[in-house]
Amino acid sequence: MAPTLCAMCKTQRALIKRPKNHAKLCKACFITIFEDEVHHTITSSNLFFPGEKVAIGASGGKDSTVLASVLKTLNERHGYGLDLVLLSIDEGIKGYRDDSLETVKRNALQYEMPLKIVGYDELYGWTMDQVVETIGKKGNCTYCGVFRRQALDRGAKMLGIKHVVTGHNADDVAETVLMNLLRGDLSRLSRSTSIVTGDSRSEVKRSKPLKYSYEKEIVLYAHHKKLDYFSTECIYSPEAFRGSARSLIKQLERVRPSAILDIVRSGEDMSRLVPGESSSPCDGCKTTPAAYAPVVEDDVGGCGSQNGRTPGGEMAAMDKQLRENEAYEGLEIDVASTMARNKATQNEKPKDLPIRNGGSKAATRQVLGNCKRCGYMSSQDICQACTLLEGLNKNRPQIQI
Amino acid sequence: MDEVPKPAVAGGSLVRPCTKCRAQEATLDSRSHAVCRDCFAKFISTKCIKQIAILGKEARAPGRPPAASNSTSASPRRYLLGLSLGVSSSVLLHLLNENVEFQLAKGRNAPFELTVVHVDVSSSLVPTSTSISTAPAAVTLEKYRQRYPRFGFQCVPLGAVFGLRTVDWSTLPGVQNTTPASPLQDQHQQQGQKLRQLFDGLASAAARTDVLRLLVRHVLVAAARDGGCQALLLGHSTTALAELTLAEAAKGRGFALPWLINDGPLPVVEYEYHGSGTAAAAGNSDSPAATATSMLVYHPLRDALRKELVTYATLTSPPLTALISDAPDAPVATSLSGGNAAVVSHKDLSIEEVMVRYFAEVEANYASVVANVARTTGKLVRLDNDGAGTGEEGARCGLCGMPLDEQGDERWRGELGEAKDDQSLSSSSGRICYGCERSTRG
Repeated sequence: MAPTLCAMCKTQRALIKRPKNHAKLCKACFITIFEDEVHHTITSSNLFFPGEKVAIGASGGKDSTVLASVLKTLNERHGYGLDLVLLSIDEGIKGYRDDSLETVKRNALQYEMPLKIVGYDELYGWTMDQVVETIGKKGNCTYCGVFRRQALDRGAKMLGIKHVVTGHNADDVAETVLMNLLRGDLSRLSRSTSIVTGDSRSEVKRSKPLKYSYEKEIVLYAHHKKLDYFSTECIYSPEAFRGSARSLIKQLERVRPSAILDIVRSGEDMSRLVPGESSSPCDGCKTTPAAYAPVVEDDVGGCGSQNGRTPGGEMAAMDKQLRENEAYEGLEIDVASTMARNKATQNEKPKDLPIRNGGSKAATRQVLGNCKRCGYMSSQDICQACTLLEGLNKNRPQIQI
Repeated sequence: MDEVPKPAVAGGSLVRPCTKCRAQEATLDSRSHAVCRDCFAKFISTKCIKQIAILGKEARAPGRPPAASNSTSASPRRYLLGLSLGVSSSVLLHLLNENVEFQLAKGRNAPFELTVVHVDVSSSLVPTSTSISTAPAAVTLEKYRQRYPRFGFQCVPLGAVFGLRTVDWSTLPGVQNTTPASPLQDQHQQQGQKLRQLFDGLASAAARTDVLRLLVRHVLVAAARDGGCQALLLGHSTTALAELTLAEAAKGRGFALPWLINDGPLPVVEYEYHGSGTAAAAGNSDSPAATATSMLVYHPLRDALRKELVTYATLTSPPLTALISDAPDAPVATSLSGGNAAVVSHKDLSIEEVMVRYFAEVEANYASVVANVARTTGKLVRLDNDGAGTGEEGARCGLCGMPLDEQGDERWRGELGEAKDDQSLSSSSGRICYGCERSTRG
């Protein structure tokens, strides 16, 4: 039997079946189309401007390594005129980061990019190992996640950079969409799919150029380009909802490869259906409103490794909370319960709702402000990181200074 | 879970008195309360009746077209129930019957008239010589008819969908030259063959299941319209709605979710055929009659979990399980994939089946999470021409009938740079939504 030829160049032998649509391609064409698609995403969303200084959030993992490699390639090929910098966060977990930071250091040499490593100790006065020592293994992912989110921004600020790109891929975005549907979190759903997060209020904007790239293709790209990356998982545990959504995504992908992108598409569309979110396109500018959403502290789930398999405490806790709500609902008088379908059924938080559609629907919405301590965006007076730090510092043994 | 702290007054001799009535032994667990059979059954029926009451008001609301005959205020409401012969729709049928009997026993009028329609999928798809009346589904339906003689029952073969104008047939590959009125010679067989052609032309089990669901829905809506009904009732449980939410999101129909999950009027579009088979939406500007129609679609069991309905089906006397047991529950993907393969590979699974498996697990452990999914999705806004939306004037998908998302389509093309060969296809045929495109064009 004659070997199958590449569907694009029709001359080389096809060696790769694209995970995204099962197209059979040769190595060179796969690499080209992968890069072209990222380029298309970047140009159509106007992600960068010439001369912009951009920090690549680099963990040494496959996503950020591929991102760094692709951005370097595209920057040179298409003359973006970007000033690219690698920015790494050292959580201070012995045995986890040591090796991956070595990878990032090698990447910096390979891609000829300056590298800045910022430690949790530098930013917060605590390493993760110290946090775990203080509060135990349970619940420390909260700390790590909250600290990490701000770490990139704080690190970028230290470098005087206003734009951080991260390696979030289509799988991550799809996972977040399903997770927020499962959690019933509409306001987060409306933000999770936008390619750029952060607005005028924030000093640093974030974007994810690999938003439409399949995780499997990222792995393939890294493999065929022989990229130097480090694969390991965080030794501490992952979030339940995310883990549950992740395993679901993997099953859906097996049934229908396009499912991941289809979910991303659904998520983008649904973000315009969330009550209170703007739905009209902004005239003049190419970016639709959904493409530019405020980032709130926990936009992206807890931990870099993100592949939990155990649906654990988080889901159970929410289930319990919901059941309690239902119990209270039972005490309401009948009129209220007939109306309940049209109303937000959960305990109603203060909301600033532009009433739409006759005002029959309502959903709670967070009010954005800035943390009084560190100035980071927060829906509370004091941001999560500062609150957690306060707790940690209270319990810190006095000997340590 | 729930320990009963003190012996109840009336139930002093009971081991575990029902936490609701305290008069009977609790044998069941209902949302972490130990309850007796009667209280459990009442709990489920109350959930259903509540929704029926809401529908009752809506069906009478000003602006709603009255039921078939010109109405006086005493004319009854008329509904159509889609019966899949599965647990949920069977329970709904039972509860509706109970409700009517209860009202009649009180000397009131029946609150509504009900027609029950089963869409027979298998007899259309499996090439057999059996006539429609001896098909397994029709036989099963006969048992239902005997048990609930008050209601009218109909068994409609799926092939009947080819006679409908609510589908833009030019959107489906392989059924290009369809004209609504087919010639006579054994219409049933002919339609069956056409169906098989249609499904053979679809790329995967996921696509076949998706299109099948859409066609069944079209047949039900058409039956409701033909029967002069004001509403179509569907048996979806909370769990089924949660599955539907995630399944449709996974198929790229996030935009249509508010129409699919919520109760309320669903627009129905009719297409006019100009001989050759290309369709154009009727009612271009001056004939609103064709596009302005709508059908109320309600899910009265939206507040009950699937596992609760399964339990309920065992509690009626005689148990509904006897009726349900011999009805095939999910014959779709397997019968459509052609083979009776014992080993199910991922290719033969549908998105729906993945969701059913997933939610069975979640429902067992975190029932409230399941309930929350449907409730949250219900808060999403229906963006449409008749709402506060800004979208185009009522452009709808020729296959699923849901509004087209122009804005989303445009951005998607822009941000993703979809492959070029897609365009050539869509220009020649009718317009469909992103989700339907995925299913019909691979």
